[in-house]
Parts: sequence; structure tokens; C-alpha cells
Amino acid sequence: MTQGSRLYFALTVLMCAFVSINGVGLNDLLERASQLSDKLHSLSTSLTNDLDSHFPPVGRVMMPRPSMCHTSSLQIPNDKDQALKIPEDELLSLARSLLLAWSDPLALLSSEASSLAHPERNTINSKTKELQDNINSLGAGLEHVFHKMGSSSDNLSSLPFYTNSLGQDKTSRLVNFHFLLSCFRRDSHKIDSFLKVLRCRAAKKRPEMC
Amino acid sequence: MRNSGVVLILTFIAKLISQAAGVSAPDKPRLTSCRSPEKETFTCWWEPGDDGGLPTTYALYYRLENSETVYECPDYRTAGENSCFFNKNDTSLWINYNITVVATNALGKNISDPVEVDVAYIVQPNTPENVTAVVVDDQGPFVRVSWEKPRTADTRSGWITLLYQLRVKQEKDKEWEEYDAGMQKYYNVFSLHPDKEFMVQVRCKPDHGFWSEWTQPTYVKMPDYIPRERSLWIIITIFSIFIILILTWTLNVKRNSVKLCLLPPVPGPKIKGFDKQLLKSGKSEEVFSSLVIQGFPPTIGYDDLLVEYLEVYDNEEQELVLDSKDLSEVCMKSKSLSDCDSGRGSCDSRTLLLEKCMEGREGSGSDQHQYSQHGETSCTSTESSECQGLEPGSPESSDGRVKTWPVVFSSPQPHHHYQVEAVKPVYHSVPEILNRSSPHAMPTNYHQLHHQDIPQQEGRFSKPACRHSQSYNQFNLDGLDTPAPGVSPSRSLEYVEVQRVNPENMLLLRPLSDPNREPEGSDYAGEDYSKVKEVTSNNILLLQRDTYHQCVDDYSQDLDSQAGQCTTQQPPHPCKPVIYQSNSGMPQEGMRVMGNGYVDSTVLMPSY
Repeated sequence: MTQGSRLYFALTVLMCAFVSINGVGLNDLLERASQLSDKLHSLSTSLTNDLDSHFPPVGRVMMPRPSMCHTSSLQIPNDKDQALKIPEDELLSLARSLLLAWSDPLALLSSEASSLAHPERNTINSKTKELQDNINSLGAGLEHVFHKMGSSSDNLSSLPFYTNSLGQDKTSRLVNFHFLLSCFRRDSHKIDSFLKVLRCRAAKKRPEMC
Repeated sequence: MRNSGVVLILTFIAKLISQAAGVSAPDKPRLTSCRSPEKETFTCWWEPGDDGGLPTTYALYYRLENSETVYECPDYRTAGENSCFFNKNDTSLWINYNITVVATNALGKNISDPVEVDVAYIVQPNTPENVTAVVVDDQGPFVRVSWEKPRTADTRSGWITLLYQLRVKQEKDKEWEEYDAGMQKYYNVFSLHPDKEFMVQVRCKPDHGFWSEWTQPTYVKMPDYIPRERSLWIIITIFSIFIILILTWTLNVKRNSVKLCLLPPVPGPKIKGFDKQLLKSGKSEEVFSSLVIQGFPPTIGYDDLLVEYLEVYDNEEQELVLDSKDLSEVCMKSKSLSDCDSGRGSCDSRTLLLEKCMEGREGSGSDQHQYSQHGETSCTSTESSECQGLEPGSPESSDGRVKTWPVVFSSPQPHHHYQVEAVKPVYHSVPEILNRSSPHAMPTNYHQLHHQDIPQQEGRFSKPACRHSQSYNQFNLDGLDTPAPGVSPSRSLEYVEVQRVNPENMLLLRPLSDPNREPEGSDYAGEDYSKVKEVTSNNILLLQRDTYHQCVDDYSQDLDSQAGQCTTQQPPHPCKPVIYQSNSGMPQEGMRVMGNGYVDSTVLMPSY
């Protein structure tokens, strides 16, 4: 074999390996990300249930409307047809933007959880901390997915969160906590749905899963 | 004012009339639930209240969260009575629907409580379809249940993810056996009882949502079969029985060697030269002939030498003890070391010997060589502990001499013998001593003993509180160890042979070297003991030898170089008075002459 053909051969092998590894890696990454997002949403649901168990009726009246969530400005698909039309990288950036938008609010929630005027305070506190950890790992995972996917542009939407405190009195604090949590619960469902769509799109080798 | 009054009165009258008629406005309807089977459409159901007797219409109105526009339900029919079906176009995810139902009849209307609905949270899929249960006979019969996803759910695109669950039971059972199948659409059910009919049901649930309804039961009949495990156990049982049979047969064949291995024979005592068969045959003379040590003194009168003679000492002769302190201690030690059967003297002889060991150790270096042949080491080795056990302050006696003491006792095996010595009657040992002594040792014994010059030790040896016989023995031993009798204080030991112990607890001794010693030629008639003739000023006990020609008089210690005298009275003279000299270190009362003229041997402990 000549030197050139040898080099070509080596390059081909490397590329094949890289591609194959890449493909498998993305699948597994998305699988893992889906699991994390699933966990995230389950946690938020259980937190909401804990809060609802001893929520004052007046709080429900005081509750702000869901459109007041700080992520409501993000344009997301609202049904399946719309969602399936969106390309993968856009879906991924949507998920990542949402995720990013919640790192600060969750920090606030976690700091306020310990002083909530609620009988289930301890459980809420621990679950909020767990939520924070999960979000961080999911964010990191999605970073990897993003790099794996090799998108050219990184168009993350910025969804700033300007609130510094949940309120002055304990009732408003509780109500705001509940409200923030409900916003997060919805957003986590969005993220989970998007990632699972992405997962099935990438899992061409495993049709039985989708 | 008037108009309003009229209106009021009219309303009141109308109410009365309607009440009289039994009709009224409808009651408030109630929204019971809203469900979405595939996350694309959803349906809401309400429960109508009392219609008030009049035909009532119901209308559902909804409002989306981010607008104030009120919409009415697009489809009241698809989902059945009292329901509202939202199709794909009207369904939006992640938006709150504010839904109310209005019941209207001729007399009025009523609005239900509003309900906030987010379609994403109300997903409940349809039941799975095409549930099949098939018996598979691969590796033991089991049932493979397979199904399909509900038609409407779009899992392919990942829009909705379904998890499945199935349950199995027999017709008559009360409890279901539930299994989780995850996302797969089949499941293998094992461990179902053979020849029984089972019913299977499947349901599913989205990743975040509600469980669907159970499918209609699917029946499956298990075939009749013998579980493979049973046949395997049968084979194992047969094989093990076979193995056990083989083992039993082998054990039976090798019965003897097994017995030997498990129950080893207890070794019986083996006496060298002892022929058991010969004993059984009844010829005792031949049997014992091998046991008899050559040159052993005649056994005549050995009966007399038994137990009795041991108890020669007198306990209250404490004053005769030179070193009472030491002696008592040594006595204690000896007592501790020995058992107190009839042969008390023998019990202690060992300890006494030990003392001798200690005492004699330092003294005669010259004596060493004599005793070396007897195995000094034996003493040191066997009794080192005991020797050391003696008082630290014990004066060093002539080791060599003392050391041979035990050796003397045990002719063939000094070491061994010495060990046994503690329980052997003294009489046993004495003859041995006599055996080993040289006839000429006697006179020098005195010398030897005298030159030992261990005053304290004398006291040590003479322990009235202890066994007299022991002291006696030691005394004898020392005497025996001396070389030529009466010649010079050579370092050889002269042993005296105890001929017998007569009924009066007297040891009849005679020197081993005595040519007249031969048992046959000895004249045992008459008195065998020696009487004390007198006690000289030098604490010398002069024994009077009586009719018996064999005298034992070797154990004399001449402190004042009167050994010569003593030695002159050596065994060749059968009835020489035995001179016992108490140790110089001993108090004068070390010698005790008993009323009947016999020597108190305990007092006469030779001191080295």
C-alpha cells in the first residue's frame, strides 16, 4: 500500500468510528436527558401537591394568572402538529432556553423554601434543593447534546427573571411561591415533551422505544 | 318606583305559581372531568343539576388564559351526553382553559363553578388493543402476552410516551398478580400453574398522566406438564442414593481401617522387656525376670519395705531443724509437690532431692565429675525448676552430689525416675542408692559431707517436719556417693543399700560395696536395724550394729574431720555402728535418739 492510500484508509476508519460513536452517543445522551427531564417534572408535580395540601383558599384568589410567568413570552408550539414541524436544533434551543430561564428563580425558591409558612416546609425544602440539582445536571447534559448535534448557531432566548423576593408577608410569600412553582411545573412539562420528541427522532436504531 | 314594585309583585306571583306547579330554574351543573386521550384533543363532561322540571339546555363556555374571549364548546355530540369535545384545532397545550357550564331553562339559568384546565395534565390514554396471550413451551411452559398501543396515541413521534402494565389471575382468585412491562408491548409470564385457566388484562399510562382502563380479560389455558425441576430433583435423588450406597459399601469393606482411624487404640503401657504373652501364660518368673534390674538387691523383705518404713519421722522435732525457716519453706514446697499417700517420705523425697540439688551445687566442684556420669543434667533439667523453687537464699551445696541423687534413684532412666520419685515409696529408692554406691564410699561420705561445709544446708536437709525417710535417703545417698570407704574424702559416692525395713520402721542398710552384701549370703536373721549406741560430743551418732552383719552406716557427716573414724566403720563391718553426724550448721539437737535406740533419720539429714 502506498503512503497516500494508507493515510486515506486510516482517515476513513477514524471517520467511521467517529460517526458511529457520535450517533450512538447522541441517542444515549438524549435518552439520559429525557430521563432527567422526566424526573424534573415529577418532582415539581409532587411539590405542587405538597403545597396544595395546606393551601389557604384565599391564596387561590390571590394567585396571579399563569400568563404572568416570566417565560410566557417564549414562542413555543402548542400542539403536536406544530411541534413536529420544528427542526431538532430549534426544539433543543427551546428546551435549553426554558431550562436556562429557571436557574435563577429556582435559586430564589430554594432560599425561600426553608422559611415558608407551611406545615410541609421541610419536604418542600428538600425537594426544591433536589430540583436545583437536577436542573443543573440537565443543563449540562443539554450542552453536550447541543455540541453533539453540531448546530451552527446557538440561539438561546433570554428570559430574564427580575424578581428578587417573593413578598413581604408570609401569605403573599406562600402565594408567590406557589405561583412560581406552577410556572415551573408547566415549563418542565414543555421541556420533557420536547426532549422526548427529540429522542424519538434520533432513535432510528431503536424503533421499539418510540 | 311603581314599576319596580309591580315587577316585584309579578315575579313573586310567578314564583309562587311555578312552585305550585313544581318547576324551577335549573340547578347548577357541575363539571366532572376533562380528559385528553392523546395530548391532541380533549373532552369535558359535566353533571347536570336538577333541571327544575323544565327542559334545560346546557352550554359550555371557555376562555383561554391570555385572552378574554369567551368561546362556546364546538362539539357537544361527539363525546356523548353532557360533554364537550375539543378537537385538534381547538386544543392548545400549556394554556389554561377556564371552562364553565351554563344550564338554562325557561325559568332561568345557572352557571357552574369555573374550572381551570391545562390539557398537558389531563392525559389519559385509551386502553391497549389486541391483547393476546400465547403459551410458549420453550424452557418450561410460560405465557407470552402481547398487545398493541391504543390506536389514537402517537408514540412513534415521541409526542406521547406510554407505559404498560398487565395483570393475571385465575377465574376463582381474588387477587390479581400485577406486572410492569415498561414501554414494551409484550411480557412473559412464568410460574403459572399447569392445567389451569388464567385471565389477563393490560392497561397503559402516559409518562405524566392517568392510567387507562383495563382491557377486556383475555383467557389462556396452561397445559398439563410435569415441571422440569421435579424431574431434575428425581435425577439428583437417585444419583445421591447411588453415591451413598457406594460409600456405605466402601466403608463396610474398609471397616477395620476406618475403625482404626476413628477410634485409635489407646496405647497401653509398654514396659521394656515385658512380655504380655508370657504373663498371660502364667509364668511370672520369666515375665518379671526381664524387669529385674541386675544386681538388684534381694526382694526378700521388700514387703517390709513398703509403706510403713516411710513414716519414720516425728513431726514435732521442729527444734532440730537448723534453718527452720528454710526448712519450713522447703517443706511447704515439698508438700506441695508431693502427694500424701502412705509413702509420705517418698512424696517428699523429690523435693528433698531438689534441695540437695540446690545446696550441693555450689559446694563441691570436685564432685561434679562424679555426678556427671549420672546425669547431672538430669537434675538440672528436671529439677531446675524445683531447685530454683527452693529458697533463694539456700546455700549452694555440692551440686554434683546432689544432682546424682535423682539419678541414683532411677537407674535406667534417671530423669524419668526422678520424676516418678515423688510418689514412689522411699524404700524403692534406697535400694537403688545402695546399688550404686561403692563399698568404699562410705567412709569418705563423711568427709564429703563434711567438706561440703554448708551449714545452712544441713539444716535444710534435716527437716523434722518433713519426711524423715527422705532425709534418711539423702543421707544415705550422700554416704553412698563417697568413694572408698574410710580412705579419703574422695568424691565418689557410696550408696548404701537398704536391706530391709523391719516392722519397727527401721531401715536396715548396708553399703552396696559390701562384699558381704550378697543377698544370698547375707544373714538376714536377727535384727536388721541399728541401734544408736551413743551420741558423741561432736554430734555424731554412733549406731550400734546388731546381729545383722549388714549395716548401714554410710550416711555420716563428719564435720570435724572425724570422717575418718566414720569411714573406718564402713560397711565391711556388718554391724558397725553407723555414725550419723548432723550438719554442723544444725543445732545440736539435730540428732535425735529415740528412746528405743533407733535413729531418727530425719534428724540425721546429711548436710552438704
